[in-house]
Amino acid sequence: MRTAATSVRRERMLDAAVSYSLLVLSALFALFPVAWMLSTSLKTEAEAFALPVHWIPQRPTLQAYVDMWTLKPFGIYFWNSLVVSGVTALLSTAVGALAGYGFSRFRFRFRTSLMAGFLATQMISGVLVIGPYFQILAAVGLYNTLTGLIIAYVTICLPFAAWMSKGYFDSIPRELDEAGLVDGASRLQIFLRIIMPVAVPGTVATLLFAFLLAWQDLLWALCLISIDEKRTVTLGVAFTVGEFIIKWPMLTAASLIGSLPTIILYLFLQRFYVEGLARGAVKG
Amino acid sequence: MRAGRTWHDRHLGYLFVLPASLMLAAVLIFPAVITLKLSVTPEGGSGWHLTLIHYRKALRDPVLIQTFKNTFAFVALSLLGHFLLGLGLALALNQALPGQTFFRLLALIPWTIPDVVAGIIFRWLLNPIHGALNPLIRLVFPRFPAEFQWLSSPALAFPSVIVANIWRGYPLVMVMLLAGLMAIPRELYEAAAVDGAGWVKRFLHVTLPGLRTIILVALALDMVWEFRRFALVLTMTGGGPGTLTEVLSTLVYKTYFQFFTFEYASAMAILMSAVLFVLSLPYILLVGRER
Repeated sequence: MRTAATSVRRERMLDAAVSYSLLVLSALFALFPVAWMLSTSLKTEAEAFALPVHWIPQRPTLQAYVDMWTLKPFGIYFWNSLVVSGVTALLSTAVGALAGYGFSRFRFRFRTSLMAGFLATQMISGVLVIGPYFQILAAVGLYNTLTGLIIAYVTICLPFAAWMSKGYFDSIPRELDEAGLVDGASRLQIFLRIIMPVAVPGTVATLLFAFLLAWQDLLWALCLISIDEKRTVTLGVAFTVGEFIIKWPMLTAASLIGSLPTIILYLFLQRFYVEGLARGAVKG
Repeated sequence: MRAGRTWHDRHLGYLFVLPASLMLAAVLIFPAVITLKLSVTPEGGSGWHLTLIHYRKALRDPVLIQTFKNTFAFVALSLLGHFLLGLGLALALNQALPGQTFFRLLALIPWTIPDVVAGIIFRWLLNPIHGALNPLIRLVFPRFPAEFQWLSSPALAFPSVIVANIWRGYPLVMVMLLAGLMAIPRELYEAAAVDGAGWVKRFLHVTLPGLRTIILVALALDMVWEFRRFALVLTMTGGGPGTLTEVLSTLVYKTYFQFFTFEYASAMAILMSAVLFVLSLPYILLVGRER
């Protein structure tokens, strides 16, 4: 018996040792690129190009974090991203919740096929539809507008917004709807005044996912925006990396600041995200 | 309430789903149909004179064929990397060791970085003169060439992009597998241990069967996402050198928005989507079956 106990303990120790080495190695793998970017963003341009490479800035400076707002219009890019992502989050959550309520509370013909159809549109790749969408926007005068971009993002977010809110509404007792009907409220009133207030926690996750999707996108912004004053952050960053002479400290500073919303929201949202994925409701 | 109690009630459902359905139809379905139509229209042509010339050209286009191969390799190797790294880390994190939360948050960091930025980070990291990777390697192997050109090397540009994509994508697979692992009852492991099963047997007979569904969902979803990956490749290499790191998304984008051959780009996009549809079937079936 004693030998068995020692062997179990030895196995536990070995497990822990292997696990810790894997965790430490992967932490280095995960962090090294980001740390290098942070280090560069704190350097002067001269130091970023100094040889041999300085791992840690010798005279750290926040100059790059000033330059991004003054030498480049990152202020405008951020404002555009904020407007586009914020409006996308609100609209897609609202329209998606309407659809989710319909799917959750009514049994109409083609309901399941329509739900499957919503899910299937998530698999459409952007490059399949973006050309004609660009032509349509140009024809109706919405090319180079944030509105055109918002309409696209809202639509892309709709399937997961509808699926997520449907899942959430399913967990809200139907007795609440019935009570409303008895009181003579219309279905829309019930949805707005009774169900939505209860569904706020689930709705917050949908809002944030839609915000993230719009914030991170490059493809749609790249194809639908060609003027500087309408660029989003991702687009601004992508254009800066395409320039002939790249100011790396400024670019890395802008990239880091541009990633802050996603870093914070994803770390905050990870649990919702995994649950949503398991239920088939989240777009990556 | 009883479903479909009155005529009124049954049809109200349509009204609730109508706005979303209309938007999906207008912004995704209708343009997809236009793309299909364009793909069988002669270059610069209009009306209903249909042709398969773009598809014939596509099947003989060495760039497109190579890009298909690239994309398959990109997807397959990214998935393999995401799965191995994700599973290893999920197993390590599931031991409930001290510091587990800290390590989980660290391991999640790459997932929180937007694609565009991930591409830029790696481009700067692999910069032959001023990047961090070459000096880092030379710390360990002093004889490594000082200005090794990762991203302009025909042999290593594509593997570099794949490694960057593995970096970017493993955390999501990791958290999904971790959620799956935590759902496996401890008693199963204890029972297996009492039966004298070693860790290999416990892994094969308890862990893997318990994770089966979540592994399938994670890989099926990841496959669709990696097949469409765009921004990382565009900012990291732009598809170069030549077309060596081109993937389907970047090729279609360039053909449409830089070379303005709309009809040919449309045919490429249709071919790409046909493959993507087949690839996404497992996911749709998996999710559909559970309902």
